[in-house]
Amino acid sequence: MSRNLLSIRHLKADDINDLLNVAGTYKKQIEAGKPIANVPKRTVGLLFFEASTRTRVSFEQAANYLGYNVSVFAAQSSSLSKGETLKDTVLTLKGERLEALVIRHKSSGSPQLAARFFGGPIVNAGDGEHEHPTQALGDALTILEKRKSIKGLKVAIVGDVLHSRVARSNAWLLSKLGAEVRFVGPKILMPASNALLPGMIYNDLLPGIQDCDVVMCLRLQKERMADGLLSSIGQYRRLYQINKETLKIAAPDCLVMHPGPINRGVEVDDWAADGPQSVIQKQIENGIFVRMAALSWVFTDKAKPKAAKPKAKGAKA
Amino acid sequence: MKIILKNGRILDPSTDLDVIGNVIIEDEQIAEIGDDVEIEEDADEIIDCTGLWITPGLVDMHTHLREPGEDHKETIETGTQAAAAGGFTTIACMPNTTPPLDTPTLIDYILDKASAPGAGGVFVAPVGALTVKNLGEKVADIAALKKAGIVAVSDEGCPTQNALVMTRAMEFCQQLDLPIMAHCEEASLSEGGCMNEGPVSSLLGLKPMPRSAEEIMVMRNCLLALHTDCHVHIMRVSTWGAVEMVRQAKYLGARVTCETCPQYFALTDESMNDFDPNYKTTPPLRTPTDVDLIAQALADGTIDVIASDHSPHADYEVQVPFEEAPFGMVGLESCVGVTLTFLTHPGHLTPLETVRKLSTAPAQILRLEAGTLSPGETPVAQVTLIDPELEWTFDVNKTFSKGKNTPFHGEKLKGKAVWTLCGSEIYRDQSFDEKRSKVNL
Repeated sequence: MSRNLLSIRHLKADDINDLLNVAGTYKKQIEAGKPIANVPKRTVGLLFFEASTRTRVSFEQAANYLGYNVSVFAAQSSSLSKGETLKDTVLTLKGERLEALVIRHKSSGSPQLAARFFGGPIVNAGDGEHEHPTQALGDALTILEKRKSIKGLKVAIVGDVLHSRVARSNAWLLSKLGAEVRFVGPKILMPASNALLPGMIYNDLLPGIQDCDVVMCLRLQKERMADGLLSSIGQYRRLYQINKETLKIAAPDCLVMHPGPINRGVEVDDWAADGPQSVIQKQIENGIFVRMAALSWVFTDKAKPKAAKPKAKGAKA
Repeated sequence: MKIILKNGRILDPSTDLDVIGNVIIEDEQIAEIGDDVEIEEDADEIIDCTGLWITPGLVDMHTHLREPGEDHKETIETGTQAAAAGGFTTIACMPNTTPPLDTPTLIDYILDKASAPGAGGVFVAPVGALTVKNLGEKVADIAALKKAGIVAVSDEGCPTQNALVMTRAMEFCQQLDLPIMAHCEEASLSEGGCMNEGPVSSLLGLKPMPRSAEEIMVMRNCLLALHTDCHVHIMRVSTWGAVEMVRQAKYLGARVTCETCPQYFALTDESMNDFDPNYKTTPPLRTPTDVDLIAQALADGTIDVIASDHSPHADYEVQVPFEEAPFGMVGLESCVGVTLTFLTHPGHLTPLETVRKLSTAPAQILRLEAGTLSPGETPVAQVTLIDPELEWTFDVNKTFSKGKNTPFHGEKLKGKAVWTLCGSEIYRDQSFDEKRSKVNL
């Protein structure tokens, strides 16, 4: 049996914990130089309809560690740029006997569409402004290396939440594991409504990150300026930058995170990005281990728990 | 040829008639109608209509037949067959084809094809393009189009952004006594959007089309209608705010009418399946509050018409990511079922008002000889039999339309058009009980 990893929203807390535990185990094994055993060899496709270096390399590395064969399709160098529909691409790769597909696409919901036609497991590597599940898993693994539990933590996700798939996946994951999630940023970069999203909205930075155990910075896309959503980089920096000064209002040992790529000097300063509270480098590394976990998890599915048969004590056989 | 419809509930909004009675159709004309019509047993066919509604043939003022140029989505043949199966005897087809219906030749083409053998046997009333090539820049030769047989002009599919162009068009149409059917969307607010702005768009990370995009344009068009005295018909009202604009315009004396469509009183953005493009429409599916107030506005008469907004697309066009999918859903064959299920049975509309919204009102707005059962008022008799209590499941694989894009597939509905007559019988549903029919050979 196999399953998809399309979103964090649809996962149960148990699934998230399973994935994180497996990732932790892989990490120990890799760091101890031990080979990963007992993983059946698979052939997976990485479909990157949208340019990405870090996520693609991370998935490739994860697949290598698992001993999988990998076929990489990038938009610029394959039929993806020849006007073929996503459906036809997926059907073709099904015909090529690929066993799972990892998909990065600019349109929200594309992995769901791919799942309809592929039949086998699909891993969402980032879809539009919807979700980026493996990023959130890597971030959670990183937090758990520094904190005993996610439960009860205050986490601020700061910046362009409106356009961020990282923000959505992290909010779902952290809230499912019991954290308090805050979305912090200017109103114009916040979702139109958070009624169905697991996070409180704060439009001012300092109240937003006050006493937080974790501050996650989001990348400020340059296009937001062109779209007229922000008047200037300078103004954003003055009001929302995470730096040595603003971090003072967060919890004393607050972790600083960033999914990358960083706009140094815009959403974070050098001190926040490189200083003692930063775990940004760890996030990158942990991304590999959670992607290993994801690539093995999708090929497994717990047998449905059998209805417990009441043992009739004393009854005759 | 003589057909007698016996003992049905006659619903004719054109004369406010709601009685149990008989209808006699002779030589393709309605000969007699009422509760005092005596039945002669010599008719060619006598249909026992006990429990059925006998209504004027339904009129859909907002259908996309896709010809010319987009016959992979629908053809005039399949679209008119779908109309007959949905209980419609007259449909108005939209001009946003390829090329758009902006010349008399194209109108001739539509009318020829609609009356060709093999077509569904319904009347097709073409709606002409408001501007040349539907570009919103230069008003089309509306007088020539009228001479060719159009019943209205519209900027459907390409809402006219320029207020001066719209004003000019209204001045022309006021003089020509032609209604303008206006698709209301302020493009600077809706461009790139694909669903209602709110909790669900925030959840799914889909670009929103705010309600203000619709309401601003409804308001503008209502004001221009007021000042030009042109009859403007607002298409696809989907928000309570748009309803209020229309209500105000009517109060001020503007010649404004409006329609809504089944999706706007039956579905909300919350009922969307995750990323299923079958739910993608413009204006987009709104909220439960909008749905409630749309139903109320239908009941109080602010909304005049229920139109199908039949918008067929090919499978391959819909099997794409939500953002890339085209807007619209098929509607001709689910319209009656959805309307009765969501409006009539819950008590928002009486049977007579239901039929008014689906037949008499659109016929009056487009000045069509339709929407009535009065003898001699229509070129040929147009009659639909509706079984209001029939429970059925909408199966898009059994429809006549080429388009299979609908969110109503698998929906359990109550109420269905089971027999359609336009001059002669053009459709008899599978569920039609043959025991009702007595044929004299």
